[in-house]
Amino acid sequence: MRKGGEGRARLLLVILIVTSLFLITLDLRGVKVLDSFKQGTQTVLSPFQRAGAVVLNPVKNFFSDVTNLGRTGNQIEKLEAENAELKIQLLNRKNADAQLAQLENILDLAGTAGYKVVNAKVISQGSSQSFSQTITIDSGSNAGIKKNMTVLSQFGLAGVVKDVYPNSALIQLASDSAFKVGARIAGTQQIGILSGRGNRSASLQLLDNSTTVKVGDVLLARGSIANRPFVPGVPLGYVSQVDNSAGAVAQTATIRYYTNFSTLGVVAIVVSGPTSDPGDSLVPKKPQVTPVPTVTVTVTPSPTANN
Amino acid sequence: MLTRQISVATPIFLLIFLIQEAVISQFRLPGGGFSILMILALTWAVLSQPEVAAVIGFASGILMDLSQSAGGPFGQWTLIMLLAGYAISYIGYGDDNIHANAIGIVFFVVVANFFVEIAYLITGALLGVSIGSLGQVVITLFGMSIWALLVSPIMLPVFTRMHAMIFDSRSSL
Repeated sequence: MRKGGEGRARLLLVILIVTSLFLITLDLRGVKVLDSFKQGTQTVLSPFQRAGAVVLNPVKNFFSDVTNLGRTGNQIEKLEAENAELKIQLLNRKNADAQLAQLENILDLAGTAGYKVVNAKVISQGSSQSFSQTITIDSGSNAGIKKNMTVLSQFGLAGVVKDVYPNSALIQLASDSAFKVGARIAGTQQIGILSGRGNRSASLQLLDNSTTVKVGDVLLARGSIANRPFVPGVPLGYVSQVDNSAGAVAQTATIRYYTNFSTLGVVAIVVSGPTSDPGDSLVPKKPQVTPVPTVTVTVTPSPTANN
Repeated sequence: MLTRQISVATPIFLLIFLIQEAVISQFRLPGGGFSILMILALTWAVLSQPEVAAVIGFASGILMDLSQSAGGPFGQWTLIMLLAGYAISYIGYGDDNIHANAIGIVFFVVVANFFVEIAYLITGALLGVSIGSLGQVVITLFGMSIWALLVSPIMLPVFTRMHAMIFDSRSSL
């Protein structure tokens, strides 16, 4: 390369590096121009994402289904029996039925606690290239959604509204490693902080060193001032493992979220919190054991020819 | 010449960005998935001169920063992709074993993909971006590399033809 060309290339590189550093500085200082840029991009992208969600809906859960196959191996027999029954429903309106079921459960959950919610469909699952866990929904500020509102799934907390655009919103999932929520244990009312880990498990740090947790304890959201970002009483998950480190100041535990983040199709955004704390009323009911009827067979010896 | 290159390359980058955001982002792929935009930018960077590769990295980084799933400050991906583009091109520049060899290009792209993600983690840590547990980070890093290894060979003929068309080189495979 000629000397002049080499010099120009170096100059170009320096200009680009300085521009990048300039952009980072502007963003960290909270300059609104860059937010408008991002907002404009999202406004343009959301119709395409909505179209993509509609077209790809039948196949988009394929990979998560394959991933979960090994973990559910011990349930195959049970699922096969259920599968036969479900096949007819799946053939008819698989996606519509699934979303309707999710929606019904969300409305049950919101109705029990007295939350006013806006329902939305998930139109994009987000990419993990930035090590973050997000989804995009098809409702935004035009539907009354604002930043830092609680997002519910059919089983409990799904996440929190991170960014709002006119017709879409970005949700930070509770599984995101930057996600934190104040939690209390149903019944004992012990409090702690729940932090996401990048998957369906989370870690609970209790605030009081004199309290203890046990496997199976249910966690609920404590709620925030003015119900934002978190409304009180939302089921979070249950304690799956208790970490008893000898030198720890306060006890920690591993939590399994109720929400399966890889299969979110419909979510609800709490636009108005309850007038009073719902307490433990949203704690999921334990499955009832159905008694199996026993059959007694009495065998009577029949007379034989030799006798 | 430059105007023609920019006018043809820009819609291609925008189209790939749209595919990434509207189609690939619909799937929550195991192991973190892949970024088709990053694979395109790195493939073109391998095939280009260093200063062109830096511009390609800069443009793709801006688009990655505009993505809603970008967790860090605006400009972080721009800086990383710019440096990655320049570095990958500088290392392979003038080496026909890389340019004329599909396996060499795929190898470069996959390795670059891995190191770009590591650079993102390090700069993210410096800028105060939360990155999660070590286990999850390792899974995501290796998952993304495996996805890049699977996707790069499939997309390579298309991307090299596009590169040849725009930059008028003889590097199509």
